[in-house]
Amino acid sequence: MTYKSQSVAKLYFIAAIALFVAQILFGLIMGLQYVMGDFLFPAIPFNVARMVHTNALIVWLLMAFMGAAYYLVPEEAETELFAPWLATLMFWIFLLAAGATVAGYLLLSYSDLADLTMNEMLPTMGREFLEQPTITKLGIVVVALAFLFNIGMTILKGRKTVVNLVLLLGLTGLAVFFLFSFYNPTNVVLDKFYWWWVVHLWVEGVWELILGAILAFVLIKVTGVDREVIEKWLYIIIAMTLITGIIGTGHHYYWIGTPEYWQWWGSIFSAMEPIPFFMMTVFAFNMVNKRRREHPNKAATLWALGTAVMAFLGAGVWGFLHTLSPVNYYTHGTQITAAHGHMAFYGAYVMISLTIISYAMPLLRGRNAANPAKSQTLEMWSFWLMTISIVFITLFLTGAGILQVYLQRVAENPQPFMAVQDQIGLFYWLREIAGLIFLVGLVLYIASFFVGQDEPEPAVAD
Amino acid sequence: MTASTQAIPAGTDPRRPPGDLAIWIFILAELGVFAVFFAAYAFTRMNHVELFNQYQQHLDRRAALINTLALITSSYFVVRAVAAIREDNPRHCVNWLLAAVSMGLVFVVVKLGEYHHHFVVEGVNLSTNTFYMFYISLTFFHFMHVIMGMVILSAVAVMAKKGKYSAREHTGVETGASYWHMVDLVWLILFPLVYVMR
Amino acid sequence: MAQAFTKTMARNIFYGGSAFFFLLFLALTFDTSGQLPSRDNRAALDGPMGETIAKGKELWEKNDCIGCHTLLGEGAYFAPELGNVYKRFGNSIDGIKGFIASRPKDGIPGRRSMPQFNFTDEELTALAEFLKYVSEINTAGWPPSDNG
Repeated sequence: MTYKSQSVAKLYFIAAIALFVAQILFGLIMGLQYVMGDFLFPAIPFNVARMVHTNALIVWLLMAFMGAAYYLVPEEAETELFAPWLATLMFWIFLLAAGATVAGYLLLSYSDLADLTMNEMLPTMGREFLEQPTITKLGIVVVALAFLFNIGMTILKGRKTVVNLVLLLGLTGLAVFFLFSFYNPTNVVLDKFYWWWVVHLWVEGVWELILGAILAFVLIKVTGVDREVIEKWLYIIIAMTLITGIIGTGHHYYWIGTPEYWQWWGSIFSAMEPIPFFMMTVFAFNMVNKRRREHPNKAATLWALGTAVMAFLGAGVWGFLHTLSPVNYYTHGTQITAAHGHMAFYGAYVMISLTIISYAMPLLRGRNAANPAKSQTLEMWSFWLMTISIVFITLFLTGAGILQVYLQRVAENPQPFMAVQDQIGLFYWLREIAGLIFLVGLVLYIASFFVGQDEPEPAVAD
Repeated sequence: MTASTQAIPAGTDPRRPPGDLAIWIFILAELGVFAVFFAAYAFTRMNHVELFNQYQQHLDRRAALINTLALITSSYFVVRAVAAIREDNPRHCVNWLLAAVSMGLVFVVVKLGEYHHHFVVEGVNLSTNTFYMFYISLTFFHFMHVIMGMVILSAVAVMAKKGKYSAREHTGVETGASYWHMVDLVWLILFPLVYVMR
Repeated sequence: MAQAFTKTMARNIFYGGSAFFFLLFLALTFDTSGQLPSRDNRAALDGPMGETIAKGKELWEKNDCIGCHTLLGEGAYFAPELGNVYKRFGNSIDGIKGFIASRPKDGIPGRRSMPQFNFTDEELTALAEFLKYVSEINTAGWPPSDNG
């Protein structure tokens, strides 16, 4: 750690991991509710568990992105953070807002929460992933603006590297597109059309700039490859991402009342969306192969390579599987979508967050470069356990989805939704077991922060 | 780079494409999108031959032919611009580039005339039928590329005028030229496919 | 002359390409906005039931229905698709109202069950009219079967 103000990142990373745990626990509750329908009913209905599961994910990823920014921006800009106190203050406001929102989900009925937060004044609640009360959304905007101001000013007064500029662009886009969450017309088609400007243009647009910037930063650090080389490939990859991803939004406009030409535009452009992910995989492995130093933090390198591979599989391959409109006609809104969602989010965004945490945390905790071997070994175990579990979760959900599509939509006598759900229960059980193994991986991951602390760290070999 | 590759003047190394490698990655991606679009057109046409043949009659083939000639001419001008800078003649280079841009302008004006006829007089749009969906999508997508190409060539011309390029260093000219040739090439496929073939 | 693969060119392609495709996306969005009136059943919103439908959407959101169901294929995959439920229930407003009103308070042992929301008759009508409105959106023939 070169600059004192970078240490604020630690708070963000710790909170991110705590929310990660909450996300997984509620995921397991939902998974059980898929096979034991009355589990925790009516105390924690499925929709509540799901809100916590998805919103905790979003918030902890945002926390990790902000932590990443607070860590790497000063180092790249070669200057202290503009206002460290603001970063700390915003952290507590964000955490408090997130905590209060989750408490609201769990303690109140959703409609009471809507009344309590005066949703009727500016109704934005009750839409997938945007369930947060309007006041929480406003809080997110305030936190995001303060954050952008802080990061922007830091970049302005320091060195303007490509990593910093791309990261800033991604974070700005994140804030700008979030504003569409305040647009909620009665017209369902318009509502859905612009809802995707938040959801799609986040995960298949601006978030990928953040992903690319963080990955580039860590690769520069752990491989020692010339910054020029990494930066120009970063530009090319994110160029491909936006070129394919922006019009790729069209793959959400097949069946929601939008004109039918979107079936062509969406299919053609989203068929290209795996390309940048593939380039990213090739790029990451190339840079590691061309490394000019042996960085002692092996775990961080593993996460970096892992995110490149899993993002390609989850977002690229599993996305492509059902993105062409003739296929999507049958798979839209089934477990196939869920399968893709799990691996894509894990591969792209969870893993990049864990990459930067893995790289930065040892330094934030006062080490020279890396955790002791014992700690790293455990972390790598957790890497494999979580990654393999998510692969199996994805495979089981894909199996469930294929059967669901067949029984409910393709077969000669299509069966009702619940009748089909009863027949694919086995896959849900297997998914839940894979989920439990994921939890074991997560526990090991957290344990890795505590083991071997008094042992010497591996030698730095340059 | 090693001394031996530095000694070879730009554009004469047969192993390397002219211009910046980055533009070639972009060109490849663009050609990929167009290729899929063309394939989709061909595939859909196969299943709706009569519809496609019927509405193809509504297209202005003479305008498209003028545009084809305009683009081919402009590509020739761009070739002359590259040749001029290789002979260390930035002034001629700028003139040829401007000539190419003006051919692009001819394309744009003729195309806008065509669009006026289809959109305003005939009142068609992307949702009218599958043929028009493809016609508008393909030509408009290409149309935007022509405008983009004109912007790039103009930028290159400005740089050339400022004396940024010479016989030794003129990657920028080759980069812009490569992109323009791509735009031209796509039209040379689009024209027979959409306007002529039946 | 050196190997030409410059960061400047990569940057130009990123900014130029992104701006280009975002503009194209805006152009398509513009066209979509023009086409939507013929597909999105907004006549229903402007008609005599308009206010009831708007009330129904408020209730739909206020009770987080999307947290279990899908609507036009988007939402959670825990409970049936509701975009076409009006048709599935035989084009019956009363059928939808009856189903929502009859959910057991304590659930069904061992099975998934929709909670009992204690809606008033007026609220039930609003929700049913909202679902009827959604079912009349032109979704290009989706879903493939009435089962959603």
